[in-house]
Amino acid sequence: MVREPASPPRPSSIAGLDRGVVEDLTFHGFQARFLEDRVRALARDGEIDPGCASFTIDVRSTVIARAMYRAADGSGDLCYPGGHSPGPSLAFGATPLEFLRHLASKGTSAGGAREGGLSWADTRRGLFGWAGPCGLMTQVLTGAALAFRGRKQNRAALVFEGCRALDAGGWHEGMNLAGALRAPLIVVLDARDLDGAEQRVESIGAVAKGYGFAFAELGQDPFDALVRVVTAARRRAVDGSGPTLLELGPRSEAGPWALHESFLESASDQWGLAGAELAAIERAARAGVDHAVARLGKEPSPDPRDALAPVRTDHEPSPPWTRREPPSPGRMESQTGSAHVH
Amino acid sequence: MSTEAPAHVSRTRAGEPVTLLESISEALWEEMERDERVFLMGEDIGAYGGAFKVTRGFLDHFGPERVIDTPISEGGFTGAAAGAAHMGLRPVVEMQFMDFISPAYDVLTNYVATSLYRGAGPMPLVVRGPVGGGNRGGPFHSQNVEMAFFHTPGLKIVYPSNPHDAKGLLKAAIRDDNPVIFEEHKGLYRAPHCRQVLPREDYVVPLGSARTALEGDDLTVVTYGLMVHRSLEAAAELAKDGIRIEVIDLRTLLPLDEDMIAASVQRTGKLLIVHEDTRTGGIAGEIAILMNERAFEWLDGPILRVTAIDSPVPFSGVLEDYFLPSVEDIGTAARYLVNY
Repeated sequence: MVREPASPPRPSSIAGLDRGVVEDLTFHGFQARFLEDRVRALARDGEIDPGCASFTIDVRSTVIARAMYRAADGSGDLCYPGGHSPGPSLAFGATPLEFLRHLASKGTSAGGAREGGLSWADTRRGLFGWAGPCGLMTQVLTGAALAFRGRKQNRAALVFEGCRALDAGGWHEGMNLAGALRAPLIVVLDARDLDGAEQRVESIGAVAKGYGFAFAELGQDPFDALVRVVTAARRRAVDGSGPTLLELGPRSEAGPWALHESFLESASDQWGLAGAELAAIERAARAGVDHAVARLGKEPSPDPRDALAPVRTDHEPSPPWTRREPPSPGRMESQTGSAHVH
Repeated sequence: MSTEAPAHVSRTRAGEPVTLLESISEALWEEMERDERVFLMGEDIGAYGGAFKVTRGFLDHFGPERVIDTPISEGGFTGAAAGAAHMGLRPVVEMQFMDFISPAYDVLTNYVATSLYRGAGPMPLVVRGPVGGGNRGGPFHSQNVEMAFFHTPGLKIVYPSNPHDAKGLLKAAIRDDNPVIFEEHKGLYRAPHCRQVLPREDYVVPLGSARTALEGDDLTVVTYGLMVHRSLEAAAELAKDGIRIEVIDLRTLLPLDEDMIAASVQRTGKLLIVHEDTRTGGIAGEIAILMNERAFEWLDGPILRVTAIDSPVPFSGVLEDYFLPSVEDIGTAARYLVNY
């Protein structure tokens, strides 16, 4: 596909998508949009770390994730959504409240507020979060994909990386490994900032080819085209033909939600989704985000007395002795716990 | 695929003694037979059988999905192993030499060790490989790596000194839900004096438990790995002069068996720590402060250490012998403490 960053979105032909997918894509687009707005507002109000408001949701990543096979019983595909992008997480079943708990460092978050990124993992839903060294998750998802193949499961792994992964040795190691072992993996390289980055990569397609990946470039393609590309990449992954690299090009100058607006038009014009139905989906998405924001204020902060416990499965960290009973000269606990006087 | 087990993983079943290297092979083989979730990744471990032949014959028996030859990419395949562990498998990663674990330091400390903490779940991952000097391997094939990881919460570190413990500890490590760094001293791999007849039945040595390699009342020597053997040699010399030292083999460095060390020190009143790793920032420092906290009132002398010199491991035999702790070094320090 040709990347056309400056051209307006084309009307979507949504032929080939069933009604459930169309409704899902409509819902996820609204939900991601409302969530992004509320996160920015919460950051402005000091409710969450302002750094958390730096993320942007590219609705295309939500669509890409929606094109994978998702299940809630651990039999579906696996998705790493990328640093601070909630879109693919939402498509894989994360709720706005789960997302906000993380950003607001609530004790109820899956990671217990011990890490600020999207670090929770729920392998039953196929969610795999982590905000850390650039490119690392391509390695990790490669291993997960190899586990699928080793168990003869028709599952694939999807990983979103920013364009700076091209700078990171870890990403190249992951790509090399995935290509060499033909892992059932799809890597989406979000190349929206590529032109401003330090690296000098003439062709990401050539990088993909070098590692034995198939390649496709995603520009301002309508949702149904994105779904078709990802579906083909997924089919290639699970049938043993090897991994695929998808280059996600710059966003539309018409704004981040132009593609969604275009899709809504198509959903109405070509799929016959009535205005009332679209409005109902929009209301449901907004209500879910509003509910999450309302609940967030009631969520407790973490308790340091137990929140730092799970470092190992069989170990509870011991606080410094100054926060416990001080040692008594001449009187020490023995191996068996009984006291001895020297 | 071959259904026959190669000879080097069948010696215990035949009632024959095994080397430390063979005990490692047996542990891997038996765990892979016992649990289909266990699989191996590493450089040249398949067709070639590993640089030290630990996994010779494994590829034929278990197939390429469970014995995965990887690119020379320690960070990459350790990261991949972490992903497989997340999916419920129990990967065992081989570092061809543990010196090469450094490219995987990022993934091991930032990602693997923090998995449970971050809410990403247990991480049943073992990284094993050969360590240690004395083989004229020079700075890139002789290091001990424990202290590069000792400071990282979330990890376990194991360092056996004999075939019995190596097999039982490796099995325990594979069955553990936490990431384990497993160090195997090359100098013990095929050492004839280390051969042991092992129990035929399945057994594990629990992680975190030290053992008393030699009982004594005059001095506690805390050590591990190859230095257990050097300490026992020193003990034999000292015994000729009526000095009876106690030798504790740590077996697991993290978590440390503080209780056993403290109990011994409370009895002998003297502590000498011996390790092959270099001096500054070595485990001796941690053990010394622990005993300062737990057994100060019992100490009748300074806590001393015998270690390698703060230097990269030299290649020349003359230099390496000078660099490494010797039996004589241990004996000298022990006599000083006993007479203190």
